[in-house]
Amino acid sequence: MLVLEEVISAEGLVKRYGDLTALDGVSFSVPRGCVFGLLGPNGAGKSTTIRILTGLTRPTSGRAVVLGHDVEAETTEAKARIGVVPEASNVYEEMTALDNLVFAGELYGVPRVERRSRAMELLELFNLSDRARDVVVGFSRGMKRRLTIACALVHRPELLFLDEPTTGLDIQSARILREQVRELNRGGVTVLLTTHYLEEADQLCDSIAMITRGRVVALDSPERLKARVTGSRIVEVSFSGGVEEADLGGLPGVTEVHRLGDKLRLTVGDESDIVGKLADYARGRDVTIATINTLKPSLEDAFLKITGLNPEEAKRDKEPQRQRRNDG
Amino acid sequence: MSPWDSLVKALYIARKDIRVYYLKAPNFTYGLLMPVALYLAFGSTGQLSPETLISGLVSLVILFGTTSIEAVSVVTEKTTGTLERLLAAPVSLTSLLMGKALAGFALGPVTAVIALIPITLLSGASIANPLLVFAAITVSSFTFAALGILVSVYAKWIPEAQMYSNFLRFPMAFLGGAFLPYSSMPPILQTVSRALPLTYTIEAMKEAMSSPFVTQTYLIDMVVLVVFSVVFMTAASRTLAKRLG
Repeated sequence: MLVLEEVISAEGLVKRYGDLTALDGVSFSVPRGCVFGLLGPNGAGKSTTIRILTGLTRPTSGRAVVLGHDVEAETTEAKARIGVVPEASNVYEEMTALDNLVFAGELYGVPRVERRSRAMELLELFNLSDRARDVVVGFSRGMKRRLTIACALVHRPELLFLDEPTTGLDIQSARILREQVRELNRGGVTVLLTTHYLEEADQLCDSIAMITRGRVVALDSPERLKARVTGSRIVEVSFSGGVEEADLGGLPGVTEVHRLGDKLRLTVGDESDIVGKLADYARGRDVTIATINTLKPSLEDAFLKITGLNPEEAKRDKEPQRQRRNDG
Repeated sequence: MSPWDSLVKALYIARKDIRVYYLKAPNFTYGLLMPVALYLAFGSTGQLSPETLISGLVSLVILFGTTSIEAVSVVTEKTTGTLERLLAAPVSLTSLLMGKALAGFALGPVTAVIALIPITLLSGASIANPLLVFAAITVSSFTFAALGILVSVYAKWIPEAQMYSNFLRFPMAFLGGAFLPYSSMPPILQTVSRALPLTYTIEAMKEAMSSPFVTQTYLIDMVVLVVFSVVFMTAASRTLAKRLG
């Protein structure tokens, strides 16, 4: 039988800040070579988990082993073999892109003769070679993000931690970055990423741990997680005029209604003739159906069902949390 | 990690700090202009001996310069998130803080010499042993850099760090013997003065300016400054570790 080597083992991680319990017994393991996602709303404990696994903070109790090193006892040894990309890009803006990478190489003990060539190689890989000698202060957010990731790879880590890698990026930059994560993984780097973008987790991850209120509530592959949403269908509908969510919630067979922009997303029983009922409803309100789509269960549906959260809770803005971190 | 590796990484951090933070505006306003302005306001009355004048001004320049650069470098690293980058690297907390202190330590002699040369020429004072003066300047630079780190660890913003530093810098300036010789202070102030590192810097510099040899007072002053450095660095390391959780 093939036994997959574990590169991360988290056992009963608990983290308390005074009366606040940020992690409440988080356990999971990550096999070598996979892209593993920690998925959850803001404040769920994703970043705290990463901070413990990367040796930036200590758990109140529990144990984390990374690449065979107990993170508390052998912090420096573990740090030497991992790359860490925090949620906010943290390159030195007063330095050039090349100097940032060379400095990262110095910190991670890359031999002097290799530092510049490795830095140039990474700048090429992340499409930044033409800006190598420019100071970072003039870079776009996407470029800073790519440089931050390049800095985390300078010592060829076996394991890369990515905390919210695409938060705040435009669509194109996020897409490029996701492709680069896939490329790194194809090259043998195990990736642990946190995200609150469910679609991103679906596209990138081999395995996902859903985490809410400091607990892992589900751990499986994206397809298996989606398969948990059975016995119901999702219908997205928009009308030519305004309608109330409560009215649609009252239709026979409809179990849930959420508004998504100008659309309404309905969860309905499999046997329900929802299209006919919606048409009757529209006629009765003197409005017309503008669009209607029947959707396969998405990871978001699975997430909402498993966590019991509503879509607004799941997609809450990151900004207040980031502000708190800066303040503290 | 071997002690050599730790030192090498500390030096890389110091070099980076020098490149990134030395030319920031607060270093000039707090580090050079403030002590000179203080001295012009309180010290240039014509009643101070050249030794008191020189040792006082140079000591204030070191104190304000090193604590200011630490306020800028430590707090900026915290607010921009780059401190996290250093902490995520295989670098011990001691190495990291040593790197920060070495950057301040390197700045002290530069600003001190900038202040020392013109004032010595203008006052016509003689320096009995320039090497001992320089040694006092370098050891004091490390002590005040360590003090600056300790203060900055508590601050969230640069002005807050400068404010905390001023709580220490101004009492030190007035009670450390920069404007009023230690011997002419009332006994109670002399006792307070002995608890301040600036007192030992000024005393050591005066000793080096008046004697070509290492005196017992000079030696004790240097040992006390080293002890202050160890205490400040240890306290800064423990405080930062506690704050990181």
